[in-house]
Amino acid sequence: MINLTINGVPVSVEKGTTVLEAARYLGFPIPTLCHKEGLTPYGACRLCVVEIGREPNSRLVSSCTYPVEEGLVVRTASERVVKARRMVIELLLASCPQSKTIQDIASRHNVRQQRFRQEHEDCILCGLCVRMCEEQMMAGAIGFRGRGRGRSLGTPFDVQSEVCRLCGGCMEVCPACQARCTFNEPEKAICGACANLSPPCVEKEQFHDMMCYLTPCVACEIKK
Amino acid sequence: MRSFQTIAEFKAYRKSLLDAKDKGKPCLVICGGTGGQASGSNDLIRVIKRQILEQNLHDRLSLRITGCLGFCEMDPFIIVEPGYNLYPKLKMADVPRIVAAAVKGEVVEDLLYREPGSTVIRFSEQDIPFFQGQTRIVLGQNQRVDPIRIDDYLRIGGYAALEKALAGPDRGWIVEEILKSKLRGRGGAGFPTGKKWEMARGQRSPSGRKYVICNADEGDPGAYMDRSMLEGNPHLIIEGMIIAALAMEATHGIVYVRTEYPLAIKHATIAIREARRMGLLGKNILGQGFDFDIETFHGAGAFVCGEETALIKSIEGKMGEPRQRPPYPIVKGLFGCPTCINNVETLANVPYILSHGADAYLKIGAENNAGTKIFSLVGKIKNTGLVEVPLGTPIGKVVHEIGGGPSGTAKIKAIQTGGPSGGCIPASMFDLPIDYDSLAKAGSIMGSGGMIVMDQNTCMVDVAKYFMNFLQDESCGKCFTCRKGTQRLHEILEDITLGKGTPEHLVLLEELARTVKDTTMCGLGQTAANPVLSTLKYFREEYERHIVDKRCDAFVCKQLTGAPCQAACPVDTEPWRYVAMIERGDYEEAYRVIRSANPFPAVSARVCDRKCESRCTLGVSGGEAIAIRALKRFVTDRVKPSVYKPTPARKKRMKVAVIGAGPAGITAAHGLSLLGYGVTIFEAEDRPGGMLSCSLPAYRLPRDIVAREIKTLVNKNIKFEFGRVLGRDMTIHDLFVDKYDAVFLAFGAHESMRLDLKHEDVEGIYPSIEFLKAFNMRGEELARGHVGVIGGGNSAVDAARVALRQKDVTGVSLFYRRTREEMPAYEEEVEAALEEGVRIETLISPVKILARQEEIEAALREGVELETLVSPIRIHSRKGRLADIECIRNRLGDVDATGRRRPVPIPGSEFKVKLDTLIVAIGERPKSGFLANMGLEIDKGGRVRVNPKTLATNLRGVFAGGDLVTGPNTVIDAVAAGKKAAESIELYLRKQPLPRPARPKLPEVYIEPPQDPGSEGRTNRRAANPALTPAERIKNFREVEMTMPEKTAREESRRCLRCDLAFTAHKSADGAAPAAKEGEQHD
Repeated sequence: MINLTINGVPVSVEKGTTVLEAARYLGFPIPTLCHKEGLTPYGACRLCVVEIGREPNSRLVSSCTYPVEEGLVVRTASERVVKARRMVIELLLASCPQSKTIQDIASRHNVRQQRFRQEHEDCILCGLCVRMCEEQMMAGAIGFRGRGRGRSLGTPFDVQSEVCRLCGGCMEVCPACQARCTFNEPEKAICGACANLSPPCVEKEQFHDMMCYLTPCVACEIKK
Repeated sequence: MRSFQTIAEFKAYRKSLLDAKDKGKPCLVICGGTGGQASGSNDLIRVIKRQILEQNLHDRLSLRITGCLGFCEMDPFIIVEPGYNLYPKLKMADVPRIVAAAVKGEVVEDLLYREPGSTVIRFSEQDIPFFQGQTRIVLGQNQRVDPIRIDDYLRIGGYAALEKALAGPDRGWIVEEILKSKLRGRGGAGFPTGKKWEMARGQRSPSGRKYVICNADEGDPGAYMDRSMLEGNPHLIIEGMIIAALAMEATHGIVYVRTEYPLAIKHATIAIREARRMGLLGKNILGQGFDFDIETFHGAGAFVCGEETALIKSIEGKMGEPRQRPPYPIVKGLFGCPTCINNVETLANVPYILSHGADAYLKIGAENNAGTKIFSLVGKIKNTGLVEVPLGTPIGKVVHEIGGGPSGTAKIKAIQTGGPSGGCIPASMFDLPIDYDSLAKAGSIMGSGGMIVMDQNTCMVDVAKYFMNFLQDESCGKCFTCRKGTQRLHEILEDITLGKGTPEHLVLLEELARTVKDTTMCGLGQTAANPVLSTLKYFREEYERHIVDKRCDAFVCKQLTGAPCQAACPVDTEPWRYVAMIERGDYEEAYRVIRSANPFPAVSARVCDRKCESRCTLGVSGGEAIAIRALKRFVTDRVKPSVYKPTPARKKRMKVAVIGAGPAGITAAHGLSLLGYGVTIFEAEDRPGGMLSCSLPAYRLPRDIVAREIKTLVNKNIKFEFGRVLGRDMTIHDLFVDKYDAVFLAFGAHESMRLDLKHEDVEGIYPSIEFLKAFNMRGEELARGHVGVIGGGNSAVDAARVALRQKDVTGVSLFYRRTREEMPAYEEEVEAALEEGVRIETLISPVKILARQEEIEAALREGVELETLVSPIRIHSRKGRLADIECIRNRLGDVDATGRRRPVPIPGSEFKVKLDTLIVAIGERPKSGFLANMGLEIDKGGRVRVNPKTLATNLRGVFAGGDLVTGPNTVIDAVAAGKKAAESIELYLRKQPLPRPARPKLPEVYIEPPQDPGSEGRTNRRAANPALTPAERIKNFREVEMTMPEKTAREESRRCLRCDLAFTAHKSADGAAPAAKEGEQHD
């Protein structure tokens, strides 16, 4: 068993456990996009970063891929972590605003701005589909190609793969293309429709012209 | 080739080679590395071989084709042993002479190495500063071996370290020795190699395999030392790898080298084969029961594969993507086996440590940073090449001593270390020692050893953008923040360089850069933001200049520069436009173009310092700049000023007081009067012009030109009050009481600086400004006999040339404390003065004043004698009059903050000069002490403090500009200040916010380029104004330069590359406009 502390709480877990699993075991929420139980951890989305070590030598690592170490000190929501995470969310919103998953995460982290040039991409290259196809569906029909700016997802030579059974597993796990956000102002990066977690009417200035779709309204409930 | 089964056999063979050293036969050494071959060394080799064959010189001469020798700037070059004579930049025709001389043991003096610009011959390699400053324990061996001959390597003591390691009682001592030597990884991160080996040694491999990998995936732009090592001395690396394998009981070795390095692959492959044949690789090496073999692996050239986990994946045949560490490769690496990955250079250091001992190694370098490091020194530097210096060497030494300083005339601004993952270090920090810790602290990294030198013509925003562009392609793309982060960083930087930047961009840029650094997995991502963060840290003002002022001072960012001639002009003249008009023969329009931007066209056509020409694309790109000022002279001499008649606006009630009738004051008054404001100019002298009439000599700027030009600028809204002095006759408060709504102070800098020597006030010594004023305003000739002038700026050269034209003067000497190259006067003027008979002594002392080399040329041509590298230290007087001065000689020391080398007095070199007159021209400062009493902020040099963007002082409604603000400066800068003041005062009076938001100055008017065939390329020589000969101009004040004939002017204007078309060509597309323009031309 390995002993470590997460947010000041000591915990001992089995060797080979990841920090993410340990933190979730203790009930600390860490947002993830590219992580799914049953698939190998990949560490692509960088949302799950946590701070390890003691200052000033502490650093951020992705908790989904980092194995627990004896005596490790972890903070899952330090100021540095939250700041980094919010910037990651901003980058995600700038690329893929139509993903409900991302909008929900943004809402949960109270991200209220997106300062980059708006893009509308269908894919954040999280690799869930690739791992799903290979590890759960035992097919390996799709994979990554290229690097850097030119990295993309696809089948070999862009023809339908012989091993693909059209099972749809790839779409099932996709955080970007499956759960579409049907927000009412496509030119805005931040969803103005359901904004489901942080009650919209509480912050009037950003949401002055929106309608509340929640029945009963969470915010109104809270205010009471 | 023999194969050896025991250490003893091998030892005997080595000994036989070491003993059979060649018998003093001369040897030609030539670089056959990639760099050498690219420079043409193959041709030279062919010539040498042919000559050896034809003349049967086999027994008298040998030829060694080596890898890179480091001095790549001089490629192709030949070093002749045993004298180590270095013949740089050879042509095929030079070679036979060298071969013939080498056979006879002679040298060819005229082909030997000289430093650029120097005549001193360096006979031997050891005398060359580039080599002197280095400690070449690794790189130096390249010169002594032919990389494809193992015997060459054995002959210099190669494989001795391996022999020692194999023969040792217990292999643990190897690790001990490396640990003791404190060798750190040369790949950039600096992890202690000994520690890595110790861990690897302790690892047990379930499959029994253990790997040693040599990382030769060198991908940084500008770095090529690993390639050169592998090309030039592959056995050294192989020996290092075998020793490493021995130390950690590894079984397999892999050299991971990128396919872009074919020669390195070839040499490494040959070397591995030879070592295997000799029994140094393979099963049971030298009978010691130790099996180890090496193979090469060719990487496909992804930058990220230099990262160790990505490298492993690449060898495994997977996509080159880093993975999370731990587990480290030492524990679980290639195919799951323990793997130790070392950089090429790290392995190259190992044989040296084992054969010389760790203690000897520790003596090289600095505390905790033992040994040497090879850097590839590239960029704006004289001596491009590979340099090997002990760690802890200051950056300045590498750049200035070994590198030889900047390659051009621009000053060095920064160096960039560590490639795309590194950062920029500004010139102000060049004392910083080069070691892992200092560089990291400064925000850069050691990296694999690229060192890119940047000068004032490098835009730091553009540099950051370049590296971001590299990284957005070379990031593996796995981490979202690295892939998207580098793209977004590049996007923001691109916006800034296009002039679309906002202050918010800067905040976002920094925030994002920090996030990328924090949240990525591998070394590439974690350092990817360094180029942005380090330039933001040290060059933030350059970013702000791009964002707020929309200017790129390095003239790199095209959308902020426009036509460089226009961007360089302080008053925003459009030289491209009037040059194009001259080409079309429309001289009146050309005049209107000039005049609309500059109220002093005729004056500028004579005395402007021509910032436009120094930025001319033609000049910058290797040709000769367009003679823009001479063309302006042509137009202003030909066209009557009346073709440009601005109409003043209706008179307004508000009035403005301008103090000083110099170029700044008159320009401001003129601008304000056109807007309808009443302007009163208060002038201390009895006529307008300021420095134009009292200081600039008539042979450069005839008096009537000044008077005529000023006359065209005066209208009914302008009033002069001569003989009125601020501080004596009135105060600023008085002016406001007199109902003036704003005040513009522009009374220049008229107080000469003093030498601060005893007897400075005796008769016969004059400050230059007093001397020039006495002559120009009152016609008094103060100089007689032998005249000495101290100083190196324009006013020193002016004083010297004026003195030379005075009746009682027999000779003029100019004393300057540095050398000609550092003289701030215009070069032409100095030449002219020398021709006229002025003597110049340089490396004497005083201070710098603004001016250019051309002035110096003119002075020299007139016969001014120039004494450089001398400083006055004592003045001797007789009967209250100057008798002689005592000077001391200087030598040039280190580079100071101004980028010039500091003069250092040489003790005991004092000498006396007999002088009848001494003119002190070491600079002027404003006489402004009284302004402080009126509540204005004044700095130490007496200059008024203003907001540089608006020229507003700390007092409401009071503005200041010209020399009063900048200290002695050029006429055109004064005119620019006047223009800016008029604009600011207008905004102030209309109660609008200051300053106006900046806009890039881009060409807007489309002018069709010349169509007639054959009009281009008729000449590539720059035209010059005809001038009086020295004989014609001595002892008179006739204007020296004359105007050029029409044909010359038309031809000169045709040379223009028309940079403006890149911005205006799209306007020609709409059918009607070009047709209308056609019509105009035929009229």
